[in-house]
Amino acid sequence: MSFTLETIHLPHLPSSLPVHVALYRDVQNAPFLRQQLISGNSEFEYALIDASMILSRAHVFSAVFRAVIDYLNKRLKSRNVHSEIVFSFSPTNNIADSFRKFGISDSTKDLLVVKVSVTPEITHDSVAAHLAQSIEGSPVSFTDETLSEIADVAKIKKAYKLGALTSAPAGQVNGASNAEKMRLENSVIGAIALRGAT
Amino acid sequence: MASPEPYTPPPLPTPFTHTTPPPTLLTQGAEAHIYKTTHLTPTTPAALKVRPSKPYRHPILDRRLTRQRILQEARCLVKLVREGVSVPAVFALDWEGQSGDGAWLLMEWIEGVVVRVVFERWEAFMKAGGEGLRGERWRAEEEKVRGLMRGIGAVVGGLHRAGVIHGDLTTSNLILRSGVEGEREREREMEGEVVLIDFGLAAQSSSEEDRAVDLYVLERAFGSTHPRCEMFFGEVLVGYRDSYKGAAVTLKRLQDVRMRGRKRSMIG
Amino acid sequence: MIAIGLEGSANKLGVGIMMHPDNGSPPQVLANIRHTYVSPPGEGFLPKDTARHHRSWVVKLVKKALKEARVSVRDVDCICFTKGPGMGAPLQSVAVAARMLSLLWGKALVGVNHCVGHIEMGRLITGATNPVVLYVSGGNTQVIAYSSQRYRIFGETLDIAVGNCLDRFARTLHISNDPAPGYNIEQLAKKGRQLVDLPYTVKGMDCSFSGILAAVDGLAATYGLGGKGKDDETDTPVLDADGNGKPTPADLCFSLQETIFSMLVEITERAMAHVGSKEVLIVGGVGCNERLQEMMGIMARDRGGNVHATDERFCIDNGIMIAQAGLLAYKTGFQTPLMDSTCTQRFRTDDVFIKWRG
Repeated sequence: MSFTLETIHLPHLPSSLPVHVALYRDVQNAPFLRQQLISGNSEFEYALIDASMILSRAHVFSAVFRAVIDYLNKRLKSRNVHSEIVFSFSPTNNIADSFRKFGISDSTKDLLVVKVSVTPEITHDSVAAHLAQSIEGSPVSFTDETLSEIADVAKIKKAYKLGALTSAPAGQVNGASNAEKMRLENSVIGAIALRGAT
Repeated sequence: MASPEPYTPPPLPTPFTHTTPPPTLLTQGAEAHIYKTTHLTPTTPAALKVRPSKPYRHPILDRRLTRQRILQEARCLVKLVREGVSVPAVFALDWEGQSGDGAWLLMEWIEGVVVRVVFERWEAFMKAGGEGLRGERWRAEEEKVRGLMRGIGAVVGGLHRAGVIHGDLTTSNLILRSGVEGEREREREMEGEVVLIDFGLAAQSSSEEDRAVDLYVLERAFGSTHPRCEMFFGEVLVGYRDSYKGAAVTLKRLQDVRMRGRKRSMIG
Repeated sequence: MIAIGLEGSANKLGVGIMMHPDNGSPPQVLANIRHTYVSPPGEGFLPKDTARHHRSWVVKLVKKALKEARVSVRDVDCICFTKGPGMGAPLQSVAVAARMLSLLWGKALVGVNHCVGHIEMGRLITGATNPVVLYVSGGNTQVIAYSSQRYRIFGETLDIAVGNCLDRFARTLHISNDPAPGYNIEQLAKKGRQLVDLPYTVKGMDCSFSGILAAVDGLAATYGLGGKGKDDETDTPVLDADGNGKPTPADLCFSLQETIFSMLVEITERAMAHVGSKEVLIVGGVGCNERLQEMMGIMARDRGGNVHATDERFCIDNGIMIAQAGLLAYKTGFQTPLMDSTCTQRFRTDDVFIKWRG
C-alpha cells in the first residue's frame, strides 16, 4: 500500500519538531474521530481539519507555523499544539468557532490530519501506523492540485470575510486567474498571521 | 564624542536562531534589518524584517513604537494584498518581540531592482554622454523614464484608493519586479510591475492632507535623489490620476502642501 | 585670506574673523565673539528689540574682534554677513552694518546662507568630511546631505522648529531664558523620572512638533504646572493606569526631550540609511544638548559610524561660521554686489550653489 504520510521540516522551526501531514478523501468514520477529540483521547491528539476549508499547502503550513511558533513561545490559547493548529486557521479569536468552521465535523468526507513531533516517540512510522488503523478513508497525496479539487472556495472566502474579493470569471486566461488565486491565498495567510493583533 | 566601536548586529530573534542556512542580512535600514531567507518550503524565498529594539530610545517609548509599527505595517500590507495593490504579502509576524530581541515580520520576496538604482543607472548613463542624444534616441530614453514614472504614479494611486498612506515614499521603497535576477538590457531596464515596499511608516488614512503629503514626500525624494529625473515627475501625477478617482482633490491639496513646504525656511 | 563674519539672524549677535593661510595649512579662528539678547522668563524675543540690541552692539563687537585677532583692516579680504534665513529686522540691522564696513574699508561683501554657515563650520571643526547633517535650532529643523553641489534637505519640520518647541515650553513653565531656555530645560530634564505619553509624529524624513507642544502644554495646564508658582499641591496623588504619580515639571521636560529627540534621531537615521552614510554632524543651538548628542551617538555606533558635534562656541549662532562659509565662497570668486546685499527671511539651504565642494 502506498500510504502517503508526508513528513516535513518547516524552515525556522527546530529540526526536532517535524510535522506529519496526511490527506484523506471519502472518510467514513468522521463521527468516531470527532468523538475521540471530544473525549480527550490522548492517542488521538491530532489536528483534524475539514479539507474543504483548505486552499493550498502554503495555507496549511502557515497555520501550522503560527501554532508551533506560539507553542515555542509558550503562548498557546488552546489545550495543545494540535488544537492550536485548528485554531490557527481562524482569522478570529473565538476558539469554539474556529473548530466549528475548520475542524472535523460528523459529515466531513475530506480530512487533513496534522501531527507535530512534540515528543521523540512521535515519529513518521508511529504516526503512519496509528493513522492506518484509525482512519477509514482513502489516503491521497497532499498536493496543491488535490487540495484545489477539494476546496470550497466560497466557504473559505466567507470564513475569512473575503466575500468582496472578486473571483476570476470562468474561462479567464490562466495568468489572471492565477493572480487571483495568489491574492486569495495571500489574503488568507495574512489573516492567519494577524490573528489576535489588537 | 562617542568613539566608533566595532558593531555587531543584534542576534536574530527566535525562531530564526534555528534557521539553516541562517538568514542573510541584506540591509540595515533605519528602523529594521532586512534578511533574505525562506518560508514554508526551503525553496520559497522570503524577506524577514526584524525591528530590533533601539537602545537610544527610552524603553517604554521603544516598546510602544516597535509594537505599534510592526502591527500597523502588517495590517496595511494585508489590506493592500486584499485590494490587489502590488505589495509583498505577509507570511507571518511576531509583534511582541520575545525576550526583547525584536519584533519581526516575514514577507513575500520581491525579485527585482530597486527603482532608486534604476534611475541612478540611467542618470549615470546620461552623465556619461547620454545627454548628447538627439531625436529618436533621446525620445526613446525620455519615454522609458516617463513610462516608469507613470507606473509609480499608478501604484501610489492604487495605494491611496485602498485607503492607505505609505508615509515614506522614496525611490528606495519601490521595486521594479523583474521576475528574473541580474541585469537587463538598457532598452528594457524600466519595464515591469512597480511594487511598493517598506510600510514601516504606513497608516490607514482617509485624510486628503496625508495623501498629499505622501506625494510631496515622493516629489522631494526625486528632487534630492534624482535631480536629472525630477523634470519628469509630472508623469507620476498622470499615472496617479489615471488609477485613483479622488486624485483631483489630492493634487489640489498637494499645491497647498508645496506652498507650506516653501515657507519652512522661516523662523519657527 | 582673512574674512570677517557678521551673524545676527536671531537673538545672538556674533562677529568672527577667519583666516585661510595662503600656504594651504588649516584655517585658523582668529576671533569669535558673541553677545546675546536675553528676554525675561515667560517671553520670547521680539524682532524690534532684538534688532535694537544688534545695532547697539555691532560696532563694539567688530572692534573687539579685530583687536582680539590682532589684524588690521588692511589684512581683511571680505566682509561676510548672514543673508538669511532668520528674523527680518535683526537680519537687516546686521546687513546694514556689513554694507557700511564694506563701503568704509573698500572690501568685498559676501552674503551667506545661515544654514550653510553652520554646516561648513561644523565640518571644519569636527573634520567630518561628508556627514549627514542634523541642523536643529530655534528656527530650523533640517536633515541635510550633500549631493551634486547642493546641501539637499532630506527631511525637515512640517511646522515649528524643534528649538522653538522647547523654547515655548520653557515659557509655559516660566523657566529662565538665561543663558538659553533649551539649556535650562535640559538641566531640569536630568531630574525627570517618569515618561509621560506624548504624540510621536514622523512622516518619512519629516517630523512635526506642534502637536507635541500642544499636548505637553496641555499636561502642564492639567497638572497646574504652567505659569509662575501656580503649583497648587493636592494631597491625593493622581495615579494613572501604570501607577505613575502626577508628573513634575522635570518629568515633562524629560518626556518632551525623550520624545522629540527620538524623532530627530529617527529621521537622521533614515537619511543615513538613504544616502548610505555612517557619519552624523549635529549643528545649531539644540545641537549643544548632551542628551541629544548621547542618543545620536548610540544610534551612529549601532550603524558602525559616529557622531560629530561642536560645543556652544560653534553650535550656537556665531560670526565665525559666516566668515568660514563666506570665505569658501569668496575663494571661488563669489561676491555679493552692494545692490544685491539684501537679506531675506526665507532662504532655503538647497538654494545655495556649493561651488567649493567636489
